Amino acid sequence: MSYWRWMLTDIVTLARDRAIALTLFGGVLFYAVLYPLPYIHDVATEQSVAVVDLDNSSLSRQMIRYADASPQVKIVARAGSVDEARAMIDQNQAKGLLVIPANFRHDLLRGQQVTLSFAGDASYFLIYSAIVQGLTTAGLDVGSQLQLQGLLANGTLPAAAARQVAPVALNDVAVFNQGLGYPAYVIPGLFLLILHQTLFIGMGILGAGQWRQTGYWQQFSPLTTVCLRMASFSVIYAFLSAFYIGWCYYYYDVGRQASLGQVLLLMLPFLLATAAAGMAFSTLFVRRELPTQVMLLSSMPILFVAGFVWPLSIIPAPLVWLSQLVPAVPGMMAMLQLNQMGASWSQVLPLWLQLWGLCGLYLLLAVWGVHRRRQALAAQLAEDSEKH
Amino acid sequence: MRALLRREWLALKHDNWQLALVSYVPLLGFMLLWWLFSAALPRGLPVAVVDQDHSSISRMLGRTINASPVNQVIDYPNQTEAIAAMRRGEVYALVTLPVNLRRDLLLGKQPQIDVRYNGQFLLVGKLLSAQISLSLADGLHQLARVNLLSHGVPSKLVAAHMQPVTTQTTALFNVNNNYVGFLVPPILVALWQLIAMLTFANAMNRELTPGHWQQAYQQGWFKLIGAKALFYGPILLVHGQFVLALVYGYLGLPAEQLVWLLPLQLLTLLAVWLWVVLIFFLLRDSARVISFCTALFAPAFAFMGITFPTANMPLLAQWWRELMPSSHYIEAHVSLVSYGNVGLMWQHGLAMLGFLLLLLPTLALAYWHRPKADKVEALS
Repeated sequence: MSYWRWMLTDIVTLARDRAIALTLFGGVLFYAVLYPLPYIHDVATEQSVAVVDLDNSSLSRQMIRYADASPQVKIVARAGSVDEARAMIDQNQAKGLLVIPANFRHDLLRGQQVTLSFAGDASYFLIYSAIVQGLTTAGLDVGSQLQLQGLLANGTLPAAAARQVAPVALNDVAVFNQGLGYPAYVIPGLFLLILHQTLFIGMGILGAGQWRQTGYWQQFSPLTTVCLRMASFSVIYAFLSAFYIGWCYYYYDVGRQASLGQVLLLMLPFLLATAAAGMAFSTLFVRRELPTQVMLLSSMPILFVAGFVWPLSIIPAPLVWLSQLVPAVPGMMAMLQLNQMGASWSQVLPLWLQLWGLCGLYLLLAVWGVHRRRQALAAQLAEDSEKH
Repeated sequence: MRALLRREWLALKHDNWQLALVSYVPLLGFMLLWWLFSAALPRGLPVAVVDQDHSSISRMLGRTINASPVNQVIDYPNQTEAIAAMRRGEVYALVTLPVNLRRDLLLGKQPQIDVRYNGQFLLVGKLLSAQISLSLADGLHQLARVNLLSHGVPSKLVAAHMQPVTTQTTALFNVNNNYVGFLVPPILVALWQLIAMLTFANAMNRELTPGHWQQAYQQGWFKLIGAKALFYGPILLVHGQFVLALVYGYLGLPAEQLVWLLPLQLLTLLAVWLWVVLIFFLLRDSARVISFCTALFAPAFAFMGITFPTANMPLLAQWWRELMPSSHYIEAHVSLVSYGNVGLMWQHGLAMLGFLLLLLPTLALAYWHRPKADKVEALS
């Protein structure tokens, strides 16, 4: 059997194995649709807010209109008292409340400071931040309009009045993900993780089914076997990665700042390191249903420790060190820096070298693992023949 | 029944993985995920400040930004280096204090302060944007105050002049915006659901050998599955309660009337297991049952509606969400823990009885795949 023939056999075997095909092809395609599905509307808008208007003046009504005009807030009900509004939140009829105090207009006209109160359901942070942001902006707008009117009434020139209201212009802009959209935040890292996890599962199931039987996997030396299987999975994953990082990133409008060459250069050690680690991982199993379970349970910790959901600086250091051994972790970070945040190649070089290092490390472990599996099988066969 | 329970116990004893799955694996997972988020409140996040003005005012603004516990100012001599650090993810925001900031302020021209924050790391970016605006506003208020006083505004009126309308914000049910209280319970519930799914799928898969398959039909699947549920139910409920004890007991997060969550967790378990049994009869192959269940349950966390609000999901996602037991559980959980509304909790919890509909296709499949009479004879 030539090397090419071996790889072809390997690919045909795994494509015919329905459990692997289900994960590799079905899973990857299914997740490409399912994971981004809840997020495709990008941002949280129109959160329901109940108003407690204790003033009932022209100005309080203007404030309510301003709040309702904010894209993040939708005024859904008027409550007679704070308790009533609170009851609405407890009934899940509203997610936030706005209290306009009594004498709101009166005090403002008299030149006294007044305080608007608002509250949001912080069981849901995105809802809470949308409500707070929407109401704060509305409150500031009402306030600065009053300030402007006051200054104009005192005889300040309009141009000067505008500058006095806002002495400094704050130009506050999000970068890399300008719309602050959820898909652009989650997808780049998550999709690499899906590739990583499914590759592990595919290799795990394939290996677990083979180690206890004689077959084509024994034809070459352990090193050659490991390299060939890594090659056959890399070929399949080259296509799946192209689908994810090419088409899906484009379709979901994720930041794509790196050149094609750079992305390819990054994906090469990522796929090889993942394949090598997957191979080493697969030698731990002889039961076909186990690799999926282990990878399933590890998915959430790997995602959260990667550093884009929760800042690395406040994750306990031992967890961060440990996570550096998982190829997905440097892989995700390098991809984010290179492709989404537009870092130069020299900046991601350490992560790239780390991926090659992991590739080497896991290659050695995989060879050792296959070697041990072979010895175990030989011992088992010898035992069987003795019995006969 | 006792014999069936004994059979489950013996099977569990001889299956190392299953034994791990009902004992230390969930505990390890729960503790690990909690430890990861244990900082609870992000603080000391690096912010690059490029001071191009080098005046008393620009330095003061730098200090006010640094004074917030969330920000940790790192000074950069120029924008090029600061931008490079931004792209590497070493700093999460960049504040540029422009040349002539002080001069323009004194002359009454409107200088512009540029703030750039990392939207790719959404959580950190949004937090820093809000904190930097607050800090800068605070610093500028001090300046405006001096300015107004020097123009002869009485000190009592200064505050009203600067800011006629102030705001007071309250984060309901999670007063200090604690991320442990917000993220950890749903994450642990998602993990618990996965554990429940896996243990039951493994328990079911044992009936797949031809001998067992036939025996199961003779014995009656209801009895067999009932025994499994009776056996694994209490174990998983203990894990479920451990999550609550960890989060609301040990960490002392506020919660009301936690007792009610026990029947709720039981309902969730039943809903998850109804799914597993349906998939089991559909595929009848251990690796494929696990793969399919994994595909179904792995994204459950995204669909819970905790991180991204349910109302903003597209309709298709909202439908898919209804199929996940965890989304019903978490709504009931929030109704109870946050709102203390037992009625609403039961409303969400009892919606899970709808999963009983899964029994119909399950029964049909079980009937369809019954051992045929001629085959039985051939075997015997």
